[in-house]
Amino acid sequence: MSLFLSGLRKLVRRRASWVTLALLAGLLSLIVIAVGATSNRPGASAMERAAILSLVTFPGAYDQILGFILGLGGLFAVIYGAAIAGSEWTWGTLKNAVARGQSRSRYTLLTFASVAAAIAIGLVITFVIGVIAALVGAGLAGVSTSGLTDTAAMGRLPEQFARGWLAIVEEGALGFTIATLARSQLAGIGAGIGLYFGESFAGIFLPDIVKYLPFNVANASLATQAADGGMGGGAQLASLDANLALALVVVWLIGSLLVAAVFTERAEITG
Amino acid sequence: MTNTGDLALATRGLRKSYGSHVALAGLDLSVPRGTVYGFLGPNGAGKTTTMRLLTGLIHPDAGSIELLGLPFGRGDRHRLYDVGALIESPSFYPFLSARQNLRELATNGAPVGAGRIEELLELTGLRDRAKDAVSTYSLGMKQRLGIAAALLSDPTLLLLDEPANGLDPAGIVAMRETLRHLAAIGKTVFVSSHLLAEVQQMADVVGIIAAGRLVREGLMQELLNAEGIVRVRVGLDEVAGAAAALAALTASGGVTSSTAEPGWISVRVRPDQSGEVNRVLAGAGIWATALETGNDLEMLFLELTGGAQAAGGEGTFFGMAGSRADPGAPGTTGTTGTGAAA
Repeated sequence: MSLFLSGLRKLVRRRASWVTLALLAGLLSLIVIAVGATSNRPGASAMERAAILSLVTFPGAYDQILGFILGLGGLFAVIYGAAIAGSEWTWGTLKNAVARGQSRSRYTLLTFASVAAAIAIGLVITFVIGVIAALVGAGLAGVSTSGLTDTAAMGRLPEQFARGWLAIVEEGALGFTIATLARSQLAGIGAGIGLYFGESFAGIFLPDIVKYLPFNVANASLATQAADGGMGGGAQLASLDANLALALVVVWLIGSLLVAAVFTERAEITG
Repeated sequence: MTNTGDLALATRGLRKSYGSHVALAGLDLSVPRGTVYGFLGPNGAGKTTTMRLLTGLIHPDAGSIELLGLPFGRGDRHRLYDVGALIESPSFYPFLSARQNLRELATNGAPVGAGRIEELLELTGLRDRAKDAVSTYSLGMKQRLGIAAALLSDPTLLLLDEPANGLDPAGIVAMRETLRHLAAIGKTVFVSSHLLAEVQQMADVVGIIAAGRLVREGLMQELLNAEGIVRVRVGLDEVAGAAAALAALTASGGVTSSTAEPGWISVRVRPDQSGEVNRVLAGAGIWATALETGNDLEMLFLELTGGAQAAGGEGTFFGMAGSRADPGAPGTTGTTGTGAAA
């Protein structure tokens, strides 16, 4: 437990954590408020206007916000996971822990557990900021906010949150593992970003295969329309059943962490 | 492995290769408990590889390690609870302060006593900067923090790789006193260093490694006495006669004349026999124009490692004429004295 809390303390004190959160929340707020402010522009058809306003119209906005966080947040999670794992090798802090008799796999897994906890905190904060921004956007667009307290939507939120969190954690785990294998922050981040966009690109040519790959299953696991290629970007092939996608998210998550733990356990730490 | 009960650290037949490069070719170290052990060797000789093996960062291809009398291999990580280590450069989270780094490091390995972190910050002179991010520290300050980290769990065995790196003179003196104090209270300190004069002042026992093998190990004073040398300079036409006369003082091969510095002859005898050397020369009718004695660690080191450095190592410079690698060259001795034979 102390190692997990130590990991969490380090993440909270790390500037990268706050920069990542600020970027995600900032972009989300900017887009949602901009949508509200420009929705009444002349020339937009009624259908276009309705589509745009769905971003600031509750209760649908809940799904839209989660979809955005999952989309762009997935990319950020890959980068963040890679930064955390890579820095342990680059800075030599893993070496310090191992030389003090710490179990390598335990250290790796608990470090990632703290990343997962940080993602949960970040998810809640970003979601709250997104909801506030959507309220502002709705006010600017003159849209009613009566759906804010829709009981059905509110009732679904915990499950959606859990699914979204698991999906982002899986994407973070992927970056974490890539950086572990590369033993480097930069290489991990670079490879993670490459994989993220590579998967989307490959989806054009191999949709039946790519739909089972990690970023696509992460998007598909959030059982909302917004996740189906929502405004946050990410893969566009969410044709999988949400529950199957969720199961695959868990498989990718466990697989990634297993690879990271086994690699760290067997690696020669020479840096 | 036998007779290792009195040893804090022992390796037997330790081998390690990186691809085709053999880093360690059967290393046998015996580090007695309660001593400061100076671990010396040229760059690329295998010192850091040894340190990594001793802390479980890498694993040997063959051979065995005993830490504090118990076998140490894969799965024996708990042995490291009694070991403190500073391997290569000090490594910390740059965005955390010294205090925070030590606090987070303490969540790994052996428990750390209450107040220990403050005690170490005081000991290493970092208390006034303990709240500042490590990224703002100088190399010397990071090194101090590295030493504090190694001492965190009050280890029985301390492994320090180049601990004086970046330290100012006062810091080096303080470190030396601290390490001597640790040995005095029964701890064992294993120090790898390039600062030979520093090791000479600090270490009780010395081990010299070259090309992955131990070439000499023993009590510092005994080694220095055994490896003493007296150098004399005579006229160029008297070198052969002088060498023949001096051969009686030492074993076969104990007299060498320097090709780099014509006229200089080295005699492998204890430094306190310099008068005897002078007397023998005088007896042969040869008058020395200069006489030097020496037994410093640097000379011993250079003799034993034979300037055998790995490619790219600092020893690249040792082959230069008149450099300190040549035991026959002037200035290689630590204690010098010049005087004509009476």
